[in-house]
This record gives sequence, C-alpha cells and structure tokens, in this order.
Amino acid sequence: MNRVFQGAVLLLFSFLLLASVLVEKEPKEYPKTYFLERGTHETGAVNLVTALYLAYRAYDTLGETIVLIGAVTGVLVLVGREK
Amino acid sequence: MKKTNILDVVSRKLSPFILLFGVYLVTFGHISPGGGFQGGVALASGLLLILLAQGPAVLKRTFSLEGISLVEVFGYGLFLLAGLAGFLWGVGFLSPILLPPRTIFILNIVIGAKVGAGITLICWHLFLEGEDSE
Amino acid sequence: MIALLLIALLFLVSLVGIILSKNLIRKVMALNMLNSAVIILFIFFGSLKGTHAPILVGDETDIVDPVPQALMLTAIVVGICVTALALGFIYKLYERYGTTELQEIEQQVHRNDQ
Repeated sequence: MNRVFQGAVLLLFSFLLLASVLVEKEPKEYPKTYFLERGTHETGAVNLVTALYLAYRAYDTLGETIVLIGAVTGVLVLVGREK
Repeated sequence: MKKTNILDVVSRKLSPFILLFGVYLVTFGHISPGGGFQGGVALASGLLLILLAQGPAVLKRTFSLEGISLVEVFGYGLFLLAGLAGFLWGVGFLSPILLPPRTIFILNIVIGAKVGAGITLICWHLFLEGEDSE
Repeated sequence: MIALLLIALLFLVSLVGIILSKNLIRKVMALNMLNSAVIILFIFFGSLKGTHAPILVGDETDIVDPVPQALMLTAIVVGICVTALALGFIYKLYERYGTTELQEIEQQVHRNDQ
C-alpha cells in the first residue's frame, strides 16, 4: 500500500513537471538587446558573457568566491588529519 | 593493478600543455570564448593530473600547499580591493574604473587563479585524506 | 520539444535516484546530476532565439541570450562546492560507522540507542 502511494505521488509529480516544461513560451528580449547595444562600449569586452559576470553582475562573482572559500574550509575541517 | 609506464610518461608530458591552455583561456577571456571560471578549472585539472599520477611529493616541488592556499585567500582580497577602488573613485562599488578592457582583464586573471586554487585544494584534501597535509 | 523531454527525464531519474538509493555515494552522484539538469534547462531556454554565440566578432547581431549563461557559471561552481561538502560528510560517517550503506548505519544507530 505504501509502495502504491509512493508510485502515485511520483507519477503525479512527473506529469505536473512535464506539463510545466513542455509549454514553450515566446521569450521577451529586453536584457539581450540592452547588452547587445551597449555591452562592448561600456566595458570594453567583446565576449558578452565575460562583460556580464565581471562588470554588470560582479556582485554574484564576489559571492561565488566567498562560497569557494567556505567549501575549502569545510572540506579541510571534515577530512583533514592532524599529524 | 600494477602502474604501467603509460600513465607516468603521458602525465608528465601532457600536464604543461594543459596548464598552458588554462592560462590561454584566462588571459584571452574577454576576446574569445573562455574566461575566469573555465580557465580556472582547466588549470586545476592540469595540476591534479600530476597529483594523481605522480604523487604529492612531485607536485610540492613546484607548487607548495601553502602557496596555493595563499593564492586562494588573496584572490578574494584582490577582488574586494577592486570593488572598493571603484568606491574611492566615486563611481560605485565594483564598476569598471580603468581604461575599458583593463579592469576586466585583471579581474579575469584573479578569478582564474582563485577558482583553480580552490578546486585544487578541495580535490587535494578529498583524494589524499589529509595524510600529507601539514 | 524532444530536448525538453530529455531534460525532464534526467531530472526525474536523478530525483528517483536520490530518494530510492541505499548507498550514500549514489545519492550524492544523483544530487550532482539533478544540479546539471536544472542548469541545462536554463541554458536551453536561453538558446531558443538566435543562432550565433554571444561574442561580437564582426557585425553579428543575431546572438543567443547571454544572461542565463553568465548566471549558470556561478551555479556550476556552487554545485561543485555542495558535492564536495557532501562527500566530506560521507567520509566522516564512514570513519564513525565503518560503512556507506544507509541501512547498516541505521541498524548501528538503533543498537547504540538501546
């Protein structure tokens, strides 16, 4: 009985997931046209992805460096061995 | 399983080219595909190839553990300084202040070094389980 | 259409793997696969319009959306950190209980409680 209930919940969840994912919407393109016109002139990078994550969204990159330091410290505490 | 000569020879001959490719991805990040994250992971995989195939003693001859940890920590400090420099110039936190490609070029190198050092440290401790760390 | 079905299949298989696995390392691997499925979904939805990579060499104006690609770079690194910390926890559990099977750990915990 438990197995049937679990299987039914999983099937319902998968149908909901497929229904929400298979609907293809037309994406609006305001950020893309903004970065296309003004990205190279304001930052000097031809690669738009680099201009995005180092100039327009540099705060996210700063947070990601903090996450890396946290992960290195965590692994050092958990796995490191004293001599 | 016996270790054959293939791993020995291939790892020693291939690893400098992997490191060179990582440096290329980092420094040309604002012109061609690549950037800090991609180049950092390539650098880390070049170092880890030597670590896994030759042992930690060979890697410590060129890159010591304290050196990699220092690069990791000071990378964060340099990034923060770049942001605060924008503050002092009166433009705003973390906005590009030098001539257009210079800030992004320096920040790419900092991010590449930091991500490379971070992933190398994580994999060093997980692979060797602390038996060689001081 | 078929790409969305494959991404949903990857997501569901990873989710079932996390719930039903009895070995801890398989759970962590399924967690990493789940992360990858979500990242691929974001980049796929950004690539529907446009034909060229977002690097403005020459006079290209028909580029794909660069915003999801820049955001998913950070997401990939955060996924690596989560996997590394989960593997560190598994190491601690292995040191304490001597096994990585979930049922044997539960049995030992019950025996310690009684």
